[in-house]
Amino acid sequence: MLSRVANSLYWMSRYMERCDGILRLLRVNYEYSQDGFEAFSWRPVLVIFTDMLPQTIEKNKYEGRKVLQFMVTDKLNNNSVFSLVNKARENARSVQDNVTKEVWQCLNEYYHTSRNQNLGIKLQNDDPISVLNDLVQQGMYYYGTCEITMARNEGYYFMNIGKYLERAMQSVDILNVKFSELNYSLEEKSDPTYWKYLLLSISGYEIFLKSYRSALDSRNILHQIVWNEHFPRSIIYSVRRLKQSFETLKTDRTTEAYKALSHMIGKLESHIRYTDLKDIEEKGVKDYLNHIKLELMAIGNALNHYYFQFN
Amino acid sequence: MDASLFNNYETGDTFYDEMYNGKTIRPPYVKLYEHLKQFTAEELTQKEEMARRLFMSQGVTFTVYSGDEGIEKIFPFDIVPRIITSSEWNYIETGIKQRLKALNLFLNDVYSNQFIIKDKIIPIEMIYSCEHYLREMHNLKVPHEIFVHISGIDIIRDSDGTFYVLEDNLRTPSGVSYMLENREITKRIFPDLLPSTSVRQVINYPQLLYKNLAALSPRHNSNPTIVMLTPGIYNSAYFEHSTLARLMGIELVEGKDLVVDNHRVFMKTTQGLQRVDVIYRRVDDEYLDPLVFKADSMLGVAGLMSAYRKGHVAIVNAPGNGVADDKAVYIYVPDMIKYYLNEEPILKNVPTYKLEDASEREHVFKNIEKMVIKKTNGSGGYGMIIGNAATEQEIEDYKIEVLKDPRSFIAQPIISLSAAPCYINGKLAPRRIDLRPFALFGPSGIEIVPGGLTRVALKEGSLVVNSSQGGGSKDTWVLND
Repeated sequence: MLSRVANSLYWMSRYMERCDGILRLLRVNYEYSQDGFEAFSWRPVLVIFTDMLPQTIEKNKYEGRKVLQFMVTDKLNNNSVFSLVNKARENARSVQDNVTKEVWQCLNEYYHTSRNQNLGIKLQNDDPISVLNDLVQQGMYYYGTCEITMARNEGYYFMNIGKYLERAMQSVDILNVKFSELNYSLEEKSDPTYWKYLLLSISGYEIFLKSYRSALDSRNILHQIVWNEHFPRSIIYSVRRLKQSFETLKTDRTTEAYKALSHMIGKLESHIRYTDLKDIEEKGVKDYLNHIKLELMAIGNALNHYYFQFN
Repeated sequence: MDASLFNNYETGDTFYDEMYNGKTIRPPYVKLYEHLKQFTAEELTQKEEMARRLFMSQGVTFTVYSGDEGIEKIFPFDIVPRIITSSEWNYIETGIKQRLKALNLFLNDVYSNQFIIKDKIIPIEMIYSCEHYLREMHNLKVPHEIFVHISGIDIIRDSDGTFYVLEDNLRTPSGVSYMLENREITKRIFPDLLPSTSVRQVINYPQLLYKNLAALSPRHNSNPTIVMLTPGIYNSAYFEHSTLARLMGIELVEGKDLVVDNHRVFMKTTQGLQRVDVIYRRVDDEYLDPLVFKADSMLGVAGLMSAYRKGHVAIVNAPGNGVADDKAVYIYVPDMIKYYLNEEPILKNVPTYKLEDASEREHVFKNIEKMVIKKTNGSGGYGMIIGNAATEQEIEDYKIEVLKDPRSFIAQPIISLSAAPCYINGKLAPRRIDLRPFALFGPSGIEIVPGGLTRVALKEGSLVVNSSQGGGSKDTWVLND
């Protein structure tokens, strides 16, 4: 497969995964904002997904409708839903003969939906949840179409690598921001709805109730999001799937590239698997999460170096 | 039953109507007429809508970029097919084959011994003043001595019903993907009509082309690596590039995906460098190789010409074909046929005047209301003037341009292009058409896909069929009788 094509598919997949994560987060955050007594702060969302300056974030963190517009329809925001879907579509277009017709049509429809003028109006004046639900659904359509129609070739596995890498990074970032508001302390008792809404935003609430029957506390949250193998958004799950997808790329010819990357991915997986809450209590949540984030970014850079940017 | 659409059809007497001879329907169109008259205008409009939706959803579009966003536009399609009888087609086919043989021999000659110049058939200045003549092709041995692997010869019909060659397109002719798509759309909007009318197939074009490309591979293995080189997604014909690549099962590459090492071409893949044997390039000559042609080209591959010269890669179409489809050299094509083949041309040229010649120029200027003046290296219908449609000021300005560089202009009498019925705004009306058959020249001979692209000047009264200027297309049927 052409390096350029692999690169485009990988990024198309990362953009779509990012878009899905953002939409779910926005949806739940909006619900939370309608629920509380105090003013709801959108700061975590803005910190994780935008490169807004801290002062701008401070100024806008209570402006729910404005944040929604910015995160969904704003063309100047590189991480708005519109921008992400547009970029995903352009990536697909540039390698159109490497995605199925169904996948292309799906992205095309998603793109047209996201640039519909009525979307912005409804988001501003009506119930934003309906809008966000429609968009999430378009994303589901994309995932299903990929699963059902894409041939299981190199392109498919590069897409998976992008998806799971992005997902792992997102989970790390979300944990990072949420814990930073508690000064990275595992002891701090916070409002239980704080964690409940976090879990809802990553579709993890139901599994939490079934796995950790006790009250919502930060240790269990950390456990679920880092180590729970049954939770499809946990970091270990994403890294495992990343590893599996990467292993399909092994051939006779790419020993150097393959060795380097499988070493990095394997090391990260082991690191996560063989640390537990006790280690984190000693090391500190902040350092642990940062370490994982840096490793994930290094994997992204190595993929770029060995597979996409042929030298 | 609603034959009113046809009853209200108003043809004209200054052109040849493809379907009507006065008030009588020509025999090849009778079956089509019988089928179409059963539909009301609303039903035909629905079919038009269906065609539009199919084009959109299948992605048969070209993209107009505004800012960072790509907006899809459909190449306008008229639902009424254009029909050609098998005897008309035989005539066109034989004529094109003869013409292509001569043009190919001309290219071989002009890039080697130049006998045609030495025998004073074509003046030497005509060749060397042509900007598309590439000195780099001189004495370069091309595989199987074929230069014009893929060509589109534009044919028109004059008011007396005779077919003429309007121009040759030997560099990167486009439109074949629309020919294929138009047929697919017709199958959907008029079910069962094609089988009952016995129309010859066009669907084999990609397989034919692949076979010819594979035969050019320098490495004689069973599975040569063939790629389609595209300028990229911002090119207006990108849809065609990706469609053809998909239908032939070959890799679609851009210049940056290729690299030349030790005079061999490779493509950059996730598994390392892979050798390339044949390149079907839709990048213009001057952008092909920044080391040889335009130095700032981002679309080509540095060192490509050196690999080509050493015979390590085949390039389709060969660079330098532009000297043979130059509109002034066009005047000499009948002479080429006589010179190389010792035959009379079957298909005639449209009479053409060289504005470089003072007496011809005087004649043209005196009769300018009856003339079309074009640039010799123009395309897309731009840079031309139609004498009876331009204002006096436009004509005077154009004359000044001609006098500045007369070699760059030719003139032809305004040909009254034939017209075919089109379904426009709920009515049937005649619009002018031309025909671009696509010919494939391979080691085993020349094959021409039956039909080709019929282009339509959708604006009433217009004679300009190019897509960039409001043209559309029709499905073209060659009957099997």
